[in-house]
Amino acid sequence: MKPPRAVPWLFLSPFLVLFAAFYVAPVLYAGYLSLFIKKRAGFGPAKEVFGGLTNYVRAFQDSDFLASLLNILKFAAVQIPLMIVLATALALALDASRGRLQGFFRTAFYLPYTIPSVIAGLLWGYLYSKNLSPFNQITGRSFDFLGSDVVLWSIANIVTWTWTGYNMITLYAALQNIPSDLYEAARIDGADGWNLTRFIKLPLLKPSLLLVLIFSIIGTMQIFSEPFVIRPLGYVPDNITPNTYLYLVATRDGNFSYAATLAILLALFTLLLSAVFLRFTRRGGDL
Amino acid sequence: MNKVLMTALTALLAGSALAADPAFPKAPSGKVTLEVWSWVPGLDKTVQAFEKAYPNIDVKVTNLGGGPQTYTKLLTTLKAGTGAPDVAQIEYGFLPAFVDTGGLTDLSTLGANNYRKYFVPWTWGQVSPDGKAVFAIPQDTGPFAMVYNDAGLKKYGVSVPRTWAEYEKAAATVYTKSGGQVKLGNFYATYAPWFMALAWADGAQFFKRDGDRWVQTLNNPTAKKVLNYWYGMIKKGHVGTLNAFTSDYWNAVGAGKVLSNMEAAWGPGGYAGSLKDKTAGQWRAANLPQWTAGSTVRSGNWGGSSNVVTAQSKNKEAAMLFSLWLNLSQSAISNNWVNGGLFPASDAGLDFAVLKDKTKNPSKFFGGQDISAVYARASRGVNVNFQWAPWFPFANDNFNKQMDLMLKGRLTPDQALDAWQRETLAEAKKQGYDVR
Repeated sequence: MKPPRAVPWLFLSPFLVLFAAFYVAPVLYAGYLSLFIKKRAGFGPAKEVFGGLTNYVRAFQDSDFLASLLNILKFAAVQIPLMIVLATALALALDASRGRLQGFFRTAFYLPYTIPSVIAGLLWGYLYSKNLSPFNQITGRSFDFLGSDVVLWSIANIVTWTWTGYNMITLYAALQNIPSDLYEAARIDGADGWNLTRFIKLPLLKPSLLLVLIFSIIGTMQIFSEPFVIRPLGYVPDNITPNTYLYLVATRDGNFSYAATLAILLALFTLLLSAVFLRFTRRGGDL
Repeated sequence: MNKVLMTALTALLAGSALAADPAFPKAPSGKVTLEVWSWVPGLDKTVQAFEKAYPNIDVKVTNLGGGPQTYTKLLTTLKAGTGAPDVAQIEYGFLPAFVDTGGLTDLSTLGANNYRKYFVPWTWGQVSPDGKAVFAIPQDTGPFAMVYNDAGLKKYGVSVPRTWAEYEKAAATVYTKSGGQVKLGNFYATYAPWFMALAWADGAQFFKRDGDRWVQTLNNPTAKKVLNYWYGMIKKGHVGTLNAFTSDYWNAVGAGKVLSNMEAAWGPGGYAGSLKDKTAGQWRAANLPQWTAGSTVRSGNWGGSSNVVTAQSKNKEAAMLFSLWLNLSQSAISNNWVNGGLFPASDAGLDFAVLKDKTKNPSKFFGGQDISAVYARASRGVNVNFQWAPWFPFANDNFNKQMDLMLKGRLTPDQALDAWQRETLAEAKKQGYDVR
């Protein structure tokens, strides 16, 4: 006897309800908000009137928003490869090592990820402060890690510190899943060390690497807490990341409609970036 | 006879020192619950006295800790049209931005103007820009004075500067005698209201209403004069540019590397709290240095806050009564000072004995000096006609950008202020304001 058609929907319904309430509805609401603009006449509160695509036109002419996108692309181009190479190297090293220390290192590398990003920001904020920084005290210099020219890279360092271990665990798990008969066969063929890594481990790691990369791209586009926590310590530009900028547009300038517009554009931009990346890597074959 | 007279006089004096609270409006009848958002430490204890005096009103205090997040939360609830408290705390500079949301009650409709006379005049100008509508009840103030490390000044043989010319000379002396290790002062490059208070003291106006329009002059001649003055000292290294409220700053001050600063009336509490034992007792407060030597002290204001009643409040009368009580009753003013270091906006409050208690901080940290007398003088010397614009939050952040470029040497002080004016004006126009 076939179960009634409604059964799968019944099981799916908790997810669908939550998905609709906390994902679809806010997105639709943001889309609706983005169509309004503020109109003022003399003093007093502004009126929200229908503005069509005015906000979208403004966004494409908004040098702060465009600069924030450029900032995050620069950031991603440097930080993501660095982090992935580091995470892969650590995963390979852990996989190759044996003994009790393996567990210790696995935990130690993963630990930064368990610290909330706000706390990580505060912690690093102290390590970066010009006159108290241990780095400056050891080297006897007075480098300003929070200077507006370098603060983007100081934030990149925090992000790398937080996420390398997390990515390492994903890659390490993938390495552990490689069947051992593959290694045995390779050894019989005379492969060892680097060859084993080059011809067995890395090719089989590719799907996991792609996953980690895609998550990193999406995560980078959403960076917010680190610059936000560091802002009170010195001058951090408003448009250091798209998220800090649109947050300020909403909460500082009180322009929720324009912030909604920027949020939608940022989401589309992220989607586009991920799609281009997937397309590119699929066509490219082996890494 | 003499003795009797003395006793009578003493009784009279004691009576006047314990002047009665003003007559507050009649409390509404029936059970009322007020929700209050504030960042004043220990406010929950202060309101117990209110609940005792008005047993039918229940006050629920939520301490949001202050800072930008507090405003974010308030702005969101006002925008959403639901979830806002009855009473909230807002700094003067940010008040017009909230007025602009349409989410605040005009308290003049509830008779707030009857209480105008009890407040220091300039504070009322901050909450009632046109002298008619009243958008908040003044709470605390931040008139400007100079705090200085007396032992440090003596060490380098400089006397307390009374004019900016003397201050400049003293800064050079301290720098030279310490071999460049110690600075007399510090410029807070990421706090626009700090800089604006200095220009405010010299009569500067940054925003003005002009009929139905606005005029913005962030690059006014006084602002240029003040910024060029400080930039000159910064370039020579005579004053530093450490960021306010950072561990870097407190560390330098505690180590005796920064000897003075211009601070608001709520500032000394921060010195006493952040420096603890370091340099305790060595500090003093003096009048803000003046541009021209003279008898009247002119000052500006940094920060300070007010209490608004939201349009969403279901108990607006009770909410206004509470706001008035919180800022005019002896018990509340005293508690707010002791628990939160709030320097009163109430005129009578400036002379309360509790502000002069030498055994308690911040006076204790300041060597037992009655620093409130210095700040009371400053408060009464604050220019009355000073207005803020609804787009001030943007100007506040944009200032940091221009100062950053100036300190890097990419803009002169004049260019920095011109850019501040230009970029903020463009933003205000984008936000739909009729401004020039």
